[in-house]
Amino acid sequence: MAWACVLLPSLALDGALRNRPPLDTPFALVSGPVQQRRLVAVNAAARAAGLHPGQRLATAQAICRDLATAGHDPHQLAANLALIAAWAYRFSAEVALAPPRAIVLEAGKSLGLFGPWPRFAGRLRQELAGLGFRHQIALAPNPCAAKVLAGVHDGACVPGASALERALADIPITRAGLPPAAADALPGMGVRTLGQLLALPRAALQRRFGAALITTLEQLLGQQPAPFTPYRPPDHFVGRIEWPFGVTNHTTLLFPLRRLLGDLAACVAARDSGVQQFSVRFEHEHAAPTDLTIGLLAPQREAAALFDIAKLRLERTALPHPVIALGVRAATLPPFVPTGHDLFDTRPANAIPWEQLRERLRARLGEHAVHRLAADPDPRPERASAYDTPASPGDPPPLPPRPTWLLERPIPLRGPTPHILAGPERLETGWWDGGDIRRDYYIVEIGNGQRAWAFCPPGERTGWMLHGWFA
Amino acid sequence: MTARTIPATPPALCGTKGADARHRGDAGTVGAPAYAELHCLSDFSFGRGASSARELFVRARRCGYTALAITDECSLAGIVRAHEAARDTGVPLVIGSEIRLDDGLRLVLLAENAVGYTHLCELITRGRRAAGKGAYRLTRADLATGLPGTLALWLPAAVPERAQGEWLHGRFGERLWLAVELHHDTDAAAKLARLTALAHALGIPAVAAGDVHMHLRSRRALQDLLTAVRNHQTLIEARGLLFRNGERHLRRREALAALYPAALIEETLRIARRCTFALDQLHYHYPAELVPGGHTPTTWLRELTKEGLARRWPGGASPAVRAQVEHELALIAELGYEPYFLTVNDIVHFARARGILCQGRGSAANSAVCFALGITAVDPARANTLVERFISKERNEPPDIDVDFEHERREEVLQYIYRKYGRERAAITAEVICYRARSAVRDVATALGLPPDATDKLSFALGHWNGETPLDDRLHEAGFDPASPSIRRILHLTRALLGRPRHLSQHVGGFVISDAPLATLVPVENAAMPERTIIQWDKDDLDALGLLKVDCLALGMLTCLRKTLDLLRQHQRQDLTLATIPAEDPATYAMLQRADTVGVFQIESRAQMAMLPRLKPDHFYDLVIEVAIVRPGPIQGDMIHPYLRRRNGKEAVTYPSADVKAVLERTLGVPLFQEQVMKLAIVAAGYTPGQADQLRRSMAAWKRHGDIERHRERITQGMLARGYTAEFATQLFDQLKGFGSYGFPESHAASFALLAYASAWMKCHEPAAFMCALLNSLPMGFYSESQLVQDARRHGIQVHPVDVRCSDWDCTLERNPDDPAAQSAIRLGLRLVRGLRADAAARISAARAQHAFTDSADLVERAGLDASARRLLAAAGALRALAGHRHAARWAVAGVEPERPLFGLASPPEPGAALPPPTTWEDTRADYATMGLTLGPHPVGQLRAQLRARRCRRSRELKACPSGSRVRAAGLVTLRQRPHAAHGVTFVTLEDEDGMVNVIIWRDLAERQRRTLLAATLLGVDGRWESVDGVQNLIAERLFDYSPLLGALDSRSRDFR
Repeated sequence: MAWACVLLPSLALDGALRNRPPLDTPFALVSGPVQQRRLVAVNAAARAAGLHPGQRLATAQAICRDLATAGHDPHQLAANLALIAAWAYRFSAEVALAPPRAIVLEAGKSLGLFGPWPRFAGRLRQELAGLGFRHQIALAPNPCAAKVLAGVHDGACVPGASALERALADIPITRAGLPPAAADALPGMGVRTLGQLLALPRAALQRRFGAALITTLEQLLGQQPAPFTPYRPPDHFVGRIEWPFGVTNHTTLLFPLRRLLGDLAACVAARDSGVQQFSVRFEHEHAAPTDLTIGLLAPQREAAALFDIAKLRLERTALPHPVIALGVRAATLPPFVPTGHDLFDTRPANAIPWEQLRERLRARLGEHAVHRLAADPDPRPERASAYDTPASPGDPPPLPPRPTWLLERPIPLRGPTPHILAGPERLETGWWDGGDIRRDYYIVEIGNGQRAWAFCPPGERTGWMLHGWFA
Repeated sequence: MTARTIPATPPALCGTKGADARHRGDAGTVGAPAYAELHCLSDFSFGRGASSARELFVRARRCGYTALAITDECSLAGIVRAHEAARDTGVPLVIGSEIRLDDGLRLVLLAENAVGYTHLCELITRGRRAAGKGAYRLTRADLATGLPGTLALWLPAAVPERAQGEWLHGRFGERLWLAVELHHDTDAAAKLARLTALAHALGIPAVAAGDVHMHLRSRRALQDLLTAVRNHQTLIEARGLLFRNGERHLRRREALAALYPAALIEETLRIARRCTFALDQLHYHYPAELVPGGHTPTTWLRELTKEGLARRWPGGASPAVRAQVEHELALIAELGYEPYFLTVNDIVHFARARGILCQGRGSAANSAVCFALGITAVDPARANTLVERFISKERNEPPDIDVDFEHERREEVLQYIYRKYGRERAAITAEVICYRARSAVRDVATALGLPPDATDKLSFALGHWNGETPLDDRLHEAGFDPASPSIRRILHLTRALLGRPRHLSQHVGGFVISDAPLATLVPVENAAMPERTIIQWDKDDLDALGLLKVDCLALGMLTCLRKTLDLLRQHQRQDLTLATIPAEDPATYAMLQRADTVGVFQIESRAQMAMLPRLKPDHFYDLVIEVAIVRPGPIQGDMIHPYLRRRNGKEAVTYPSADVKAVLERTLGVPLFQEQVMKLAIVAAGYTPGQADQLRRSMAAWKRHGDIERHRERITQGMLARGYTAEFATQLFDQLKGFGSYGFPESHAASFALLAYASAWMKCHEPAAFMCALLNSLPMGFYSESQLVQDARRHGIQVHPVDVRCSDWDCTLERNPDDPAAQSAIRLGLRLVRGLRADAAARISAARAQHAFTDSADLVERAGLDASARRLLAAAGALRALAGHRHAARWAVAGVEPERPLFGLASPPEPGAALPPPTTWEDTRADYATMGLTLGPHPVGQLRAQLRARRCRRSRELKACPSGSRVRAAGLVTLRQRPHAAHGVTFVTLEDEDGMVNVIIWRDLAERQRRTLLAATLLGVDGRWESVDGVQNLIAERLFDYSPLLGALDSRSRDFR
């Protein structure tokens, strides 16, 4: 057996930086409560400016004024590690996560395909660099030893068990992956290397540090199995159908599409989840594929509904070339919240539920043609309604009557002075975003008997502006 | 709508800075109906009211209001300020409070008379005590009695619930009104009609009210902001909760007349006329129970004083002292202050009976009576110049006695007071916490939606802003655009928020004790600390009403001195008390003149040490000056250098007049104390004593009112009229302003000087006991345990390491058996082991007393040490004698089995483990990590070869360098300080194996090498060595960060901002 360990010393930082254009100015990841943020990781420029992890953000900003920061996200860290594991899965059937910053893979069986080791390691390094992750790699007879060696000697290669103990002897105690209690205490007893530690009587060690230390030592020497969790590829849906010939007819595509979407629906149902976004890919022989990305307002898992929407989108899509393969892919599967059905539901058979209608409209008219309208608590009439925001909880404050039709912007009210029916309602507000208004609103009757909503400056009865009509 | 056409001829009134220009012309018109506002919140309704009582009253006067009620929500915390503002503006104050019951019923309660005021106080107390800090809870049951003596205004909800009105009518009867509050938030006529109909149906009168939240419409942005902050939301999130217009201000009477029927406006006057209660009618009595039967307070105080005199002067007091005492007793009797003196005496008596050292200070404390009673140890004969500033009957100023207690034992005193008077009659004074730059910016920026990181940056940039100085550079530096609208909004609102009250907190130790339950006098509420209650007034409020309070403060030096005295007694060296420490000892003054003052009370700081060799104190009064002179007040008033020049004969001592000479003679013509500035105002500017007292309050509280400027004109005119130069007048006023922020009264300085002298005498003559006591009293003072121990060793005191065989919890003295008269050695105590618990140490001492420990297993077993205690002792080197070096000790204690087998040896023998001994460097590191100090070689000494190679000199070599030499030094940074008054200068203190080096870093260097300055633990400095008048400084020209040499040495710098 030969195990390779890929250690990613700057996983958090690289994970944050790989999505940005290259940066040579100081950058740091920060975390902690607002009042006492601390640096979690810093890039080279920040380090050169004198910053280091653990420093308080306020101090860091005092030292380095042009420091750019981003929040540290532990979930992102785990996701990036999973990404590396998925990548490694292409090279070995046995991949395990060694969180927080390493993965191990069985390399012995892969050497035939990718080896010898130097070449294999070279390829790993090249691809990791391409992915944007700095790394340290080592090979050892067991995963634990590989991990420890990768942390201390990048590029270490210990082929056999006989050389292992020698290779481990110089490893500093603090970097040997020992249980924290032992790793903290041993240097204080003058024990600084693994070699010194291995020379001490095991019984005395067990008495002081418990069985955990002994287990760790035996794992390092390969006398016990490694504690890492094997990696399994994630559950997402990918379905694909190929044809030996190019298909040009939309109708011909509908059947396979319905089947793939059925599979998708089955898959998400099995996971008791729903799908909110999926993509349909039409592959062509000599051209880039045509992709349809379909997003829903709420998770769905009814095959018929999914098909309905996809079909509508397909009908409005022009396929430039014959299709040789069709794929459906759903990357993220959010949990599904089923709509409850009343036992005595008397919906006519041909009626469709509102959600489905809404999706159908969106699919046919485009995502930006259908909106939800909601009341907004903003006191300024122009901003008292909002698109696509869920209604705020609780009732809005009781307001005096508002016009049925509010003009998009007020216009001068010409003609003779209107007859005041009620008011004023004085509004002086909105300063916080620079949109301060000061108005006295009145319900007025104008010449033709129509009731209007109009305002003038506070305390005055001139300069009338019309802002709405009452029904 | 006639308001705008009425000709306006308002009288010119003062103090309307910031008033709306639009309102300036037509605020106080004639012809509009008289009006009294009965529902108005000040900024003591935290998170709601946007104007101070003073702003409200000035506006009310401009508008010609007949009266103004201040009705803060379930609070009277702002009512004394309102009382003062009412007095100053002549607009009568109606006292009241707005209340919301738990079922949503809202009303305003107004105090009609003293009975009603008492009921109001009790109601607020009940509500506040029933909820956590800052909140209250009241139910209908709390109103069941109908609160006789109060008037109630019902505040119906937007949709009025008639049942509420009926219920209130049942409780308050003819004392109930329906408040009609019209704010143009809906059609006013319709609302008015609805509410008057409702009032009519209920058979109660309706009255106009304003629900006022601010004095001017222009405060609406600040009011919105407070709403958002109160709800912990941004303004955008809170947009639905804001008032939709700015009508809730003190409106012009014409505007009200246009809105309300005359009858409703009339009614406000009827109510205001009924409310005749004012705060000066409060009757406050000090507790009477301290006087035994057969005595009056007067005879009892005389009796106690007589006994005290006999104690102080067993041979009989001098005629002068007796005359002084007679004079004081007569004055006390005339003003009726005996109960106050008796109360303080009782507290001090309790402390003394418990062996708690205490010391009074303050104007009255330095009286012969207080000396006789033992409240202070300052012999009035010794500091004879002080007596004249005893309480004066002309000034009608309440006596002021603060009592300092040992900091570790003050709680016992507080508990005694609570026990003796009960929680109903004793409570702690409130302290009003006001917005400062940092908290204001933070709240404003957060409410305006600035992201947290930017908010941090901004509040950092505006750290000490006073609301006035230009900020553009600082903002640019921090990466903000000062011209952007959002930044301008933030600054504008920050300025408006600065200095406004934010919440009530508890004063450090001010007690109010009353004969009647306090809640009849002032509301009492819960403090953040459990089992603590505070009254809703702060010390200035009490001062304004002439209520007496006793400050029970905690002082570390008293702990230290008591422990020193105990040690001396215990080791049969001396039997002394504070009062019997030999006075005016030349050796002590010689030490002080050398600035050898590490550990000495008040004069141990770096700034004080720089002053001592220049001032060269050689008698007690010099110490009084020394204590008072190194303060922001004298520094900002530029008084130090004139005083030193005159003292050292470099400048002639002159006085502009004989009057001034009488005031300033003892300080060579330079005012140094608060009292002198007041006295100058009297003799030179023609103030009456009463006015000077006002001036003193303005000085102490000019932040509160911002009205010290009005004294400028008076002082200048008064002095010119008496023949003084304009220059002298300006100088006096500037000095006065300097004192305003940080004045130090002579009466306090005298008490502090006594403790400074006592501690200096101990350091000089009993250094071992003094340092030992100091180490046992930490944390206190200016220096760390490491610096104290180094200082002791430099003075030839032996210090022995922590050792489980001999160390107690406290540090102890170990007598030299060969020479018992010599200074003992100090054995470090287990308390220095960071993280070790006192009970573990106690068990070690107890087990050791039975018989000596044989080995570490024996220690662990018999002292019952847990894993953490074992680890800490091994790490601190306390097991050296039992288990060998640290590595071996840690290995040994880790191997002690927690579970004992029934028979046989506790821990089975095991083969020895070969562990390398720690290096010196490792020991040093472990010493610092576990105790913060080392008795081994100093870390800088261990690096000397490397530092020598970098041409760094030892501090001992520096001391011999001529002034002006170019030198390089290096040391651990023990202090990094950038005082506010020092104009950007940073003071750094470096420590090496010989001692300390004081470094001065000018602003431009600090800016250029900011990173090195902030980050270096081991700092190298190139610079110019300055040595003048025995004061030595290194003026930095270049800094080096040598910290990498130190590795991970845990040396904790104390950063002072």
